[in-house]
Amino acid sequence: MRVSTGISALDAMLHGGLMRGDVTLVVGSAGTGKTTLALQYLVNGATKFNENGLYITFEQMPAQIYRDAASFGWDIRKLEAEGKLRVVCTSPPVLVQFVEERNPIDAIISEMSAKRIVIDSISNLESFIPASELRGELYRLVNHLKMKELTSIFTAESQEVFGDHLVVTGVGLSFLVDCIILLRIVEIQSSLKKALTVLKIRGSDHDKQLREFEITPQGIKIAAAFAQYEGVLTGAPRRSTTEAFTEAFKKGKKI
Amino acid sequence: MNETGLRELSQKLIGTEIKAELLRLFHMNPGILDTVESIARRIGRMPKDVETEISTLVELGVLRKERFGKLDVLSLNTSKDKEVQKKLAALIEESAKG
Repeated sequence: MRVSTGISALDAMLHGGLMRGDVTLVVGSAGTGKTTLALQYLVNGATKFNENGLYITFEQMPAQIYRDAASFGWDIRKLEAEGKLRVVCTSPPVLVQFVEERNPIDAIISEMSAKRIVIDSISNLESFIPASELRGELYRLVNHLKMKELTSIFTAESQEVFGDHLVVTGVGLSFLVDCIILLRIVEIQSSLKKALTVLKIRGSDHDKQLREFEITPQGIKIAAAFAQYEGVLTGAPRRSTTEAFTEAFKKGKKI
Repeated sequence: MNETGLRELSQKLIGTEIKAELLRLFHMNPGILDTVESIARRIGRMPKDVETEISTLVELGVLRKERFGKLDVLSLNTSKDKEVQKKLAALIEESAKG
């Protein structure tokens, strides 16, 4: 069963939406739109699909989230008052306690009958949990959320803004999650554009194209694929051979 | 209700700069659910400087402290906070009437 993100083009790329109960990792460098995408998923859940959501933030204060969300027309305070969405600001040691017997976050999940959860950002756990325990703790967290039948989004910060390799975490988080959505800044004809692609969905096919997206006053809008370029993810794309050939052909040049 | 009551309550609630900062933090961010160490960091203070102030706010009931595993987790007790604010407003009004 699929869970709609409410972003129709993204749902189409995911062949219908996220799989219910799955954990999705949204990876990108600073400023790529991870938080916007994650918030939009929760706001759409609360307002369009009658699915309550919990947003867990570590570094960013709720007041800032309320303000940033308002710029997209999302009234988080109102949704909180209606019991449809909750913003919880905590620290990784508290989140990790939630995999033990009792935990305040578990209580909130039950109290509001949450169906969706966002953890922004999972990268913060690396600063608080010893490297030797991190993979085990993440594995436990992923399974705990699955047991609660929550459809989860974790955001993760990648260090590389441009470049031809991507490291999400050093602990193999990409193997623990079910779906990975990659956001990246790319340079096309001397201007910076945002690109999105679905890297994997466990147990399902998905769109493999790299698409341009924009952060508009209504949230994320996904546009067409970068069909005319190759090597876009490296940050240094070049016109595809077919495109270059066609262009050269039209101009009567040798390629 | 009198001047002494007003003085005592306001002293307990916002008698120090740190208590005022803590209240501001929780009122602006009611979803905070955190440890003393992290809360101190969020207002740019050291844990030892906020411990006593937090205890006073817990005694007043404005903050809730719960033990989860190895951690003491603090959060805003919204209903008690509203009650205390109402009481403070009534005391101020009474005091103004003389």
